[in-house]
Amino acid sequence: MNRVSAHCRSRQKRPMISKEEMQTPPSSALRPFISMGEWGLPILSEMGAMFLFFLHAVSLIFSSITQFPKAVRQTYFIGVKSISVIALIGLFTGMVMGMQLYFALSLFGADGFLGSGVALSMVRELAPVLTAIMITGRAGSAMTAEIGVMRISEQIDALEIMGINPMAYLVSPKMTACVISFPILTCFFNLIAMFGGWLTGVKMLGANEGVYFYRVQQSLGFEDIYGGFLKSLVFAVVVCTVSCYNGYFTHLRKDGVGPEGVSQATTHAVVMCCVLILVSDFIMTSLLW
Amino acid sequence: MSGSKLDVVLKDLSIGYNGIPVVSDINVTLPAGKISVILGGSGCGKSTLLKHMLKLHPVLAGEIRIGGKNILELNRHAWACLKLRLGLLFQDGALLGSLPLGDNVALPLKEHTRLDKKTIQDMAVAKLALVGLANYTHLYPNQLSGGMRKRAGLARAMVMDPDILFCDEPTSGLDPINSVELDHLLLELKDRFNITIVVVSHDLASMRAIADHVVMLGDGRVLFDGSMQDLEKTTDPYLRRFLDRIAEERTSPRLKALPLDPSMLKLNCAKYMASYGERE
Repeated sequence: MNRVSAHCRSRQKRPMISKEEMQTPPSSALRPFISMGEWGLPILSEMGAMFLFFLHAVSLIFSSITQFPKAVRQTYFIGVKSISVIALIGLFTGMVMGMQLYFALSLFGADGFLGSGVALSMVRELAPVLTAIMITGRAGSAMTAEIGVMRISEQIDALEIMGINPMAYLVSPKMTACVISFPILTCFFNLIAMFGGWLTGVKMLGANEGVYFYRVQQSLGFEDIYGGFLKSLVFAVVVCTVSCYNGYFTHLRKDGVGPEGVSQATTHAVVMCCVLILVSDFIMTSLLW
Repeated sequence: MSGSKLDVVLKDLSIGYNGIPVVSDINVTLPAGKISVILGGSGCGKSTLLKHMLKLHPVLAGEIRIGGKNILELNRHAWACLKLRLGLLFQDGALLGSLPLGDNVALPLKEHTRLDKKTIQDMAVAKLALVGLANYTHLYPNQLSGGMRKRAGLARAMVMDPDILFCDEPTSGLDPINSVELDHLLLELKDRFNITIVVVSHDLASMRAIADHVVMLGDGRVLFDGSMQDLEKTTDPYLRRFLDRIAEERTSPRLKALPLDPSMLKLNCAKYMASYGERE
């Protein structure tokens, strides 16, 4: 630490760094900070670039009347075509939750709270997170691959030369579609999951049906539904931005060019989306409740 | 019909990637209302120059003037307006894979005009008819041959009636008949619509058929800039060899330069396979 403070003091006295100083290797005390910077700065830089990319895409959402039909097409692809997957995942998640919570609660004779458990866990956490992760796998990867292939086959250059803004043509409609689809699919997931909880908890294991629905209704407040809705909106932005960004800049990747670059971009986008969904979920849960 | 003529002037232009120059000190004028052919061997930077001329990549130094305006200094709006007067045929067409041919050609009209659907469709079909693809509007690019994709790319490049048409290797991959037909089409476009056409090519037959002006690239610089007639009269040894398709010697200098025993060039794969079999 003494070395660090001495280094800082010398920096304060002499703001300009001489060539000799730049060429001398850094002291061992500074090395962890240097490696942290080497690791962290590119990530921060990429996050900043993604944020600017998001702002650019949002600014072009209403750029032209032709954006509307594109957004409808994308909503069909991202939203409507994901319904079956979301229904399946929602049903089985709800069934498992109904079963596990029933076993746990019945140990304390509190199986009447099954409805509260299923409803709160779904609405607050599982529905937004699982919906976002499922759409990442189904539509997010497709968005990255589609834009990436267009990039490497000069289709994006062709759009630019035709005077068509590629961001407005490719990214903004997807952003609109994600912001519309995610909350609706999350809501759909909630309903199906509660039905799944009812199937196992009430129909299979014998919990009281009236109590189950009474607890669902009683335990859910506006802030729970609002929180889940807000999360789904944030996840929509995260998934669309990360997926489209990785596809759009496929040609700048250092870990692969051409088709390999597209595959790397797709993998990277899916992993990054999942991580960012869970991180932002934690942050929002901490802030909201 | 397009009335105004635009020329392209390249002044002290250096182009390249990541700060490494590919072609330097380009000072040429591609005249308005003429067909200019940018000629050169493979990998000499012809397509790179074309893409830099359209600001698809940042230039290293110099000026690009289209119709007297330095496009590198234009603001976004002015450049967007100018781009509507330019058309580019990419080497492999660069058609949007998710749209059928008709929609691909109609896309610029849909995005930039307020014409009704029927008119847009008719105009797209008319442009496709010009390149002999009027009956294929419903097909997707992956259902077409390379030559058909290229012709469809040309139809798309022409759909907004550009003042300058840039073509990247328009005849490569086409059979001789289609190649000649495309040459005739470019000549007809020039004569009828008075547009400036810039063609990047190394097809000598095509160049002789269509070129009014020729720019030849090589060794990272401009080797020739002048009329077709002047090029044919040139006595420059490299240009003569290029034009007359003459190799320096029977053995290519590239082969001579190899630091290997020439017999190594012909690997005896069968021998290796046999030894592999014996080991097995």
